[in-house]
Order: sequence, then structure tokens, then C-alpha cells
Amino acid sequence: METIEQNWRLKGRGGALSERTRQRWIRYLVAYLFILPALLLYVTFVLRPTIEVFVLSLYKWNGISATREWQGLANFQLLMTDKIFWQALRNNLIWLVVILFFNVVIGLMAAALLSMDIKGRVIFRLGYFLPVVQASIVTAMIWRWIYNPDGLLNNALKAMGLGGLARGWLGDFTWALPALAVAAGWAGFGMSVVLLLAGMQSIDQSLYDAARVDGANYPQTFRYVTIPGLRNVITIVILLAMQGAFQVFDIIWATTEGGPIRATEMLATYMFKKGIMENEYGYGSAVAVVLAIIILGFAITNITLRERGDE
Amino acid sequence: MSSRPRILRFFALLIVLAFGIAACTPAAAPAGEADASAKTKIVIWMGGEPGTVNTFSRLAESYQDEHPEVEIEATFIGSDLFNPTLLPALNAGTGPDIFATGTGPGQPAAIIEAGHALNLTRYYCEYGWNEVIPDWVVTQTSSDGKLWAVGDSVETTLFFYNRQIFADNNLPIPTSWEEFISTVEALKAAGYEIPIGLGAADKWPISHWQTMLWGRFASPEGVNDVMFGDGRWTEDHFVRATTVLKELNDAGYFGPNPLAVVYDDMMAQFWRGDIPMTFTGTWVIGDAVAALGEETQNFGIFQMPPLTPDQEIYPTQSIGTGWYINADSPNPDVAADILNYIFFRPESRIALLESGDTVPVGPLDMESVNLPSLSEEVFASIDVFAANGSIPAFFDTIQPSNMTSITYDGLQAVLAGQMTPEQFNEEIQAAWEKAKAEGTIMKASGAVACD
Repeated sequence: METIEQNWRLKGRGGALSERTRQRWIRYLVAYLFILPALLLYVTFVLRPTIEVFVLSLYKWNGISATREWQGLANFQLLMTDKIFWQALRNNLIWLVVILFFNVVIGLMAAALLSMDIKGRVIFRLGYFLPVVQASIVTAMIWRWIYNPDGLLNNALKAMGLGGLARGWLGDFTWALPALAVAAGWAGFGMSVVLLLAGMQSIDQSLYDAARVDGANYPQTFRYVTIPGLRNVITIVILLAMQGAFQVFDIIWATTEGGPIRATEMLATYMFKKGIMENEYGYGSAVAVVLAIIILGFAITNITLRERGDE
Repeated sequence: MSSRPRILRFFALLIVLAFGIAACTPAAAPAGEADASAKTKIVIWMGGEPGTVNTFSRLAESYQDEHPEVEIEATFIGSDLFNPTLLPALNAGTGPDIFATGTGPGQPAAIIEAGHALNLTRYYCEYGWNEVIPDWVVTQTSSDGKLWAVGDSVETTLFFYNRQIFADNNLPIPTSWEEFISTVEALKAAGYEIPIGLGAADKWPISHWQTMLWGRFASPEGVNDVMFGDGRWTEDHFVRATTVLKELNDAGYFGPNPLAVVYDDMMAQFWRGDIPMTFTGTWVIGDAVAALGEETQNFGIFQMPPLTPDQEIYPTQSIGTGWYINADSPNPDVAADILNYIFFRPESRIALLESGDTVPVGPLDMESVNLPSLSEEVFASIDVFAANGSIPAFFDTIQPSNMTSITYDGLQAVLAGQMTPEQFNEEIQAAWEKAKAEGTIMKASGAVACD
């Protein structure tokens, strides 16, 4: 034990390190030991594959042959002239707009209603949150049934005398994308409601009291007290929606697989098709790299803004 | 409290945890259990939803029962996940002993080229498979005179129709294009919004129409001329075939929203009697028999009649799936014996036939088989027209993989009126030329010889 003790006493400028410094190093060591297992998992299952994808994007490879053909940046050059890539990117942006509307506008309205003292509030909260915990494939199946030519939506429209509006929603080149975005918005906005509700509950009650004393009505209070109080939460909701909108895959794949005629093609589905289905792993990886850069951009913005907000 | 005891406690905790984990880990098998560990394990990967039980898995079980020294682990993997699971496993040298995947160019060819598929020629000759597997199947499962896969079934596409609906409307089975059109018109007039079911949302069902029509207009020789010669997909007969598909859709024969209809939903409507007929393949028979039993007798089949007076009826035929042995398998002989048991043993072939969804490749002994009525009709129909020659049932299994998306999306675009038949055929030709230049199209393999 003495030897260990002596080993810790590293010789420095002033002789042995102070007890305080020694204890600090021990704390660091313990902390790193705790971090190590998670770090190893992260490096093995996230970092290394991510780097592999970046490397793969510089090659032409069919996914199985022993040799890969060096392409340099040719895959990225090709991507810039690929009409389907740009269409997919455009679709992701349209998707983002719809998701933002659900998460921010409808989410804010729902959170505001749920923050009021109304009966059955818990049931509503649960109801809004339920789709969030539901498997995405279940969401896809539910909405496929709703949008079916003989499905719930068309039957409801016909029952209301609006049969002229009925259509094969997911087979319609114009409507398939918004229809699926609405489904995804419905499935995801419960999370925003929870975040916004938590944010509302943390706003100082005295601010509302002061506003009331000053004669502010409900809309004014909402506009001048609630919204500014939720600024940080709204930022997080927006950035999470942005990340999610570019990662969308499952609901599309389970319903339209990017069809009809690429109307619902997303970067993630295009990446899957090129890489896995057409054996163009290099090109698929190039799509993945662009997707990763976009998502990384949002994630960095997200973290930066959140930390600024915390300060 | 000083931090030294704390750190010592931390390490002590780690040691205790390590011992705990070690204690929970199963110990080596005791001597009495040596028999179990001595079994030869064969892992089979097939396409299908996890948990599926089908004739293949039942036959694998039956093999296991007859060979107690062999343990078979059959795993079903969903079609979208099959390749992403198989390729890394093969690359890592840890793949299954037997895997069932596509045949033809594209991924299967890449697997063979990478050396992951075992050359089955020795087994082909030793077991006498060469006397069973027809040449056209060998062509699609071999290259350079070597057999790489065993085709598990022959699939054919044709019309399935509801006898009751046809009888109620006094409709005979159409034998000419004019009769076919008047039948569909009569069904429309009788109030059937979808006279011909087409699950075009899934894309691949449209390609079955495309393959049949292209083959019909071009004849088997015309198709082979492009597949293995200098012919082009832009030739008049192919464009005319695409035009017919568009015209059928424009006339509303596939219903008002075929692109919104999912294949499974459409088939459910068909079996329910809401849709009078559909163009699909023999793989539906097994499930129909299982679900409807005797009621399947209410359904019949017919071939698409000639679309022009001088046109012949060519039955469509394609291989269902190819079964490969992993070149890294430690037990290739046992794996080959299992393939022989499943696909070539007479009792197994009867079991496959009677299941209704699998028609084994090669000559069939129909005498002792109790077939579903629909299967009987299919065989009878093929027998009538087999002498005319056959055309592929699915182009997507014999064309390179870069053409699949182009075909699927293009056919949806043709139906939606966003692409003309000429544009579609030109796009297919361009993709074909690209694949040809890269050497990824199917090559005429020649015969696999047994010395």
C-alpha cells in the first residue's frame, strides 16, 4: 500500500503534489472510469461506423466485393446534379414546415389549453402524448387505413356531402406528402406539448399577476408573458423538429416507400434505396454524409442555443 | 472521509461485479450433455416475417427429425432487412450456412463474385439435380459453367377471377382482346368500381403487368434479343406494350385510384368478392387455401388472351428464390444434403406442391398429389400453352438492380400520366445501357456440365 502511496506522490516543481491536487486527479480518474464503458460503446457503435460512412462515400462499392474503387469526391459531384436528390431535399423541407406547424403552433395552443384548470386535463394530456410512445409502424398502419381510398377520411368526407374531395390520398402525387406529414405531425406533437407545458408551469406566477393588475387580457398575457417565457423551450422544440424532419424514414417506408413517383421521397429513403436496394453503397453513403451534415448543423445550433439559454 | 478508501471501494465493487457476471455466465457443458454440443448446426436464413412457419421450415424440421446429429436453425428476415443483414454477415465470415435470396444479376451476382457463394456443381452432379432442374432455371442460377444456387420454385403470373361474379353477369372467360375488353366493360357497368385489382401503391405489381405485356408483344425471342443480344427496350413492340398498360389504366379498369391501393388490401378485397379479377402470381394460392379452404373453388384462373390476332399466349415463368450455400460454411456437405432433402426428395416435392404456394422446379409427378383446385387449373393452363415458349414473370429478378427503382417509379409515372410510354421505355433503355457498360447485366451462362 505504501508503494501505491509513493507512486501517487509525483515529483513536481515544489516536490510532492499537494493532497488537494492528488484528490482532484483521483476524482478525475473515477469520473473517467465511469465514462469509459459508455465511451467505448459510443466509439464502437456510433463514431467508428460514422467515420466508415464518410470514408465509404469516397468509393464506389457494391457492398460485398473485396475491392472498392476510389472515387474521390465524384459521388458528391454526381449528387449535386441528381434531380431525385434535390427533390428529396425539397420534400424534407416541405415536411419540416408541416412538422413545425404542428409542433409549435398546434403544440403551443394545446399546451395553453392544457395549462388551464379544466376537467379531464390528465386524459387530454395522456391522449396527446399517446402517439409519441406508439411504435412508428403502428402510426403508419393507422394512417394508411385512414387515407385508404375506402378509408376513414374518404368515408367521413362522403358522409358530410364532401365526396368530391375524396381521393386516394397516398396515391395522389400532390397530396401524398402533406398527408403523411400531417400523420407524422399528429404522432409527434405530443412531445412538444409536454415540453411547452413544463415550460409554462415554470413561468413565474407573479408575472401573470402583474400583467392582470396592469389590465392585460388573456391574449395579451399570452403574447407578452407566456411566449417570452417559453422562448428557450420553443427554440428547443423547433430544433428538435428540424432534426426529426430530416431523419424521417419509417412512416414513409411503411406507407409509400417514397412514392407515388418519388412524391414522398426523402433523403433517408433515397439513401436506403441507393445504398441497400441498388447496391451503390458509395453513392448511398454520400447521401448519408450530406444528411448527417444537415442534421449535425441543427444539432450544433440546438446545443449552442440551449447552453446560451441556460446561461 | 479520504478519497483513497472510496476509490478502493470502487475497485472492490468492480471486482465483485466481475465475479457476479462470471457467476451468471453458463458454465461449459457437462460431460453428460456432450451429445447436444456435438450436433452439426446448420443455420438457414430465409426471406419472410420473423416467426413464419412454412413448408420450407417444416421440411427443415423434418430433416432434423430424421438426422438427430444435425440441428437446424431456420430464421426468417423481412425483405427490406434481408440484404442489410446478410451482406455484413457474409463479409464478416459469420453468415448463415444456407441463405435464400434472389437470383440473376445485381446483388446475387455480387455475392457470387465476392466468393461468398459455394460452387454447387459437384452436388448438382452427385445428387442428380442435373436431371431435374430445367435449363432455363440453370441459366438464371449459374455462371461460367458453375451452379451457384438451387431455384426453390417456379412462379407464374396470370389472371385470378371470381367465378360467381362472372357467372352472375353471364361473362365467359375471354379468349380474345375484344372479349377481354367487353368483359371488363361489363363488370364496370355492373357496378364494380375496380374491375381489375392492381395494388399499384406497392409498385412491383405494376411491373408484373409490364413484364407480361412486354413479353407478349415481343415474344420470348424478342425478350432474349435484348437480354442477351443487341435488341433495345425502345423497340416498337415494347413501347406498344407499355401503351396498352397506360390505356387500360386510362379507361379506369384498375379503378379510380390504383396508385393508392396497397397489394395486400387489394387481394383481401378480391378474396372477399369486391373485386372480380386481378393479375397476380401463384404464390397467393397457399395463403388463400389456408384462409378460405373450400371457398377457393369459387375462384379460377385464365391467361391474358392474345392482345392482337397474331399473338401467341406465352405462360410467364420465373424463379421464386435461389438457395445458396455460404462458401465459409464449415459443413457444406450437410447443407447440400438439406437442399437435396427439401427440393429434390419426391416426398418433399409433393409436400411443396400440396402447400399450394410452391411449385418445385423441374418435372412433377402429379399422380399422387392432392393439389388445390387453383393449382390444378394453373398447371393445366401452362400445359396447354407451354409449347409456345415462356416469357419471364418478373423482369426485376433478371435485370440489374439499378433498373428496379427506375422501373417501379416510371411505371407509376406512366399510370399517373406524368410520363409517356416512349419516355418510360427510353429511361429503361438508358439504365440498361449503363448497366451493360458496367457489366452488371445477366450473362448467358451456358450449360453446367457433369463429367
